[in-house]
Amino acid sequence: MTEVCGEKTVLLEVRDLHVSYGAIKALTGVSLKVCEGEIVCVIGSNGAGKSTLMNAIMAMVRREKGEVILSGKPLEAKSFRVVQQGVSLSPEGRKVFAPLSVLENLRMGAFSRGADKGVEEDLEWVFSLFPRLKERIDQYAGTLSGGEQQMLAIGRALMARPRVLLLDEPSLGLAPIIIKDIFRELRRINNEGVTILLVEQNARQALLLSHRGYVLQTGQIVQEGPSADLLANADIKAAYLGGGHGAGKTTKALS
Amino acid sequence: MGTLLQQIINGLSLGSVYALIAVGYSLVYSILLFSNFAHGGFLVIGGYICYGILKTFGTNIWLAGGLSLAGAGIAAVLTERLAYRPIRERTNVTLYLLIASMGMSIVIENIFVIVAGGRFRALPPVIPTAPINFFGFATTSAFDLLSLVSAVVFLGALQLFLLKTRWGLAIRAAAYDLRTAGLMGVNVNRLISIVFFVAGALAAVGGIFLSVRYTLYPQLGAITIKAFVAAVIGGLGSLPGAVVGSLILGLAEMLTAGFISSQMRDLVVFSMLVITLLVKPTGLFGKSVSEKV
Ligand SMILES: Nc1ncnc2c1ncn2[C@@H]1O[C@H](COP(=O)(O)OP(=O)(O)OP(=O)(O)O)[C@@H](O)[C@H]1O
Ligand SMILES: [Mg+2]
Repeated sequence: MTEVCGEKTVLLEVRDLHVSYGAIKALTGVSLKVCEGEIVCVIGSNGAGKSTLMNAIMAMVRREKGEVILSGKPLEAKSFRVVQQGVSLSPEGRKVFAPLSVLENLRMGAFSRGADKGVEEDLEWVFSLFPRLKERIDQYAGTLSGGEQQMLAIGRALMARPRVLLLDEPSLGLAPIIIKDIFRELRRINNEGVTILLVEQNARQALLLSHRGYVLQTGQIVQEGPSADLLANADIKAAYLGGGHGAGKTTKALS
Repeated sequence: MGTLLQQIINGLSLGSVYALIAVGYSLVYSILLFSNFAHGGFLVIGGYICYGILKTFGTNIWLAGGLSLAGAGIAAVLTERLAYRPIRERTNVTLYLLIASMGMSIVIENIFVIVAGGRFRALPPVIPTAPINFFGFATTSAFDLLSLVSAVVFLGALQLFLLKTRWGLAIRAAAYDLRTAGLMGVNVNRLISIVFFVAGALAAVGGIFLSVRYTLYPQLGAITIKAFVAAVIGGLGSLPGAVVGSLILGLAEMLTAGFISSQMRDLVVFSMLVITLLVKPTGLFGKSVSEKV
């Protein structure tokens, strides 16, 4: 296989990752690469192991075998160290701290940075990405709409100033118009230099947004390639894109 | 009228001591979701350290108090490390933690039976207990006022810590969702240690005041059951609930003692528990934040 990153450096690499829950094998040898500055997506249906992959990178579940490497250094086995090393996750189901205000949620995101001066600047940056969060700065996170909670979860993960931002199903349970909004902001976040690894069931949106994609099926990567190729692929159309309407006009997404 | 005021002050004073104990207990509950029955042990450890230092190094209550708080805090952290962490790392079933805490409670009590003996001990008279006259129509003791004021100071400090510091924010977040707090880069084990330290130190303050009120003995920790009841009345896991529940309980006890009969105190306390569980099982301030999914 040719080197996927070419001239660019490999920022995050997952090597032969295995994870099981008791007798259930959730991941059996997953390998993937994310290049500096890229958006990479992993698509897969229910139970394919997408969340397990995210949680294993974050060390929220035990990596049984294999390793995750960030810029040549293995990610440690403790979640708080992984965050300090430069990876943060916007988890599935958003998981905002409902009884805390929007501002407090964002400050929690910056926890690992201590008294870093840059935190105040980054708050402004997150508010510029998601102005609705600024309007609701003192509101309890639990009273936000689903879309706003997703923005908050992404903003909170950004407050860690990650080198790689992980996103677990940011489109989950949201109306198509809100998904469009959020994915547009993800592109903008990427343009500002944040590398993104995204897992999604919403394959079309994920492939339209990303540069490269992987297909995860029952714990294994079964296909990979430039997102445009995956979008055009007949098998993927049939399995993940619901018959493939509109899959033709994909080039526009791959700026 | 005078007696009523007097009993109200006494009730608030007793309630404020319960609050110190109930808040620490509730704090631990809010993070780990189990009833830490060893909490009473922390109070006893605090009491004995204070007693030991006063007996050996003279009557400096600030020194004795400070070391007592630190000692009980450290004992609480060690209890968590030795008895709870190994369980936490293996399972999510909180019942095991509950059972381990019952075991630790017995261990701590018996350590003091062996080391200090079962005798009742009076703390050297370092805390003033002189009567104080209120505008001529009510009398209370300096001790009651002092314990009330101390409780306000310590609970105020806790509140400031929780609201104004980075770790305080992390503790509030963890009380809602410990796992996700870990995703934010919080060292969860350290957070739990901090919570246990705070709970142990607050219990020691309660332990010192209870030792003065009732004398010190290895089973003094059993009084924590009142603080549990207060926490349940206020709403398990809620800190304002723990304080309000404690004050209600202290008042109810003292008013019963003053106007009905001292023997009825505990009956009233446990009736209140039963009524709470029947009428509003989540307590006065029980968690009711609606979570949108
Ligand atoms: N805590 C757990 N205990 C036992 N099995 C689990 C656990 N979490 C996940 N699994 C199993 O591991 C497999 C992968 O689950 P995972 O949540 O990673 O899938 P997913 O791709 O994220 O699915 P979805 O799209 O529904 O979120 C599934 O078979 C699931 O049942
Ligand atoms: Mg999932």
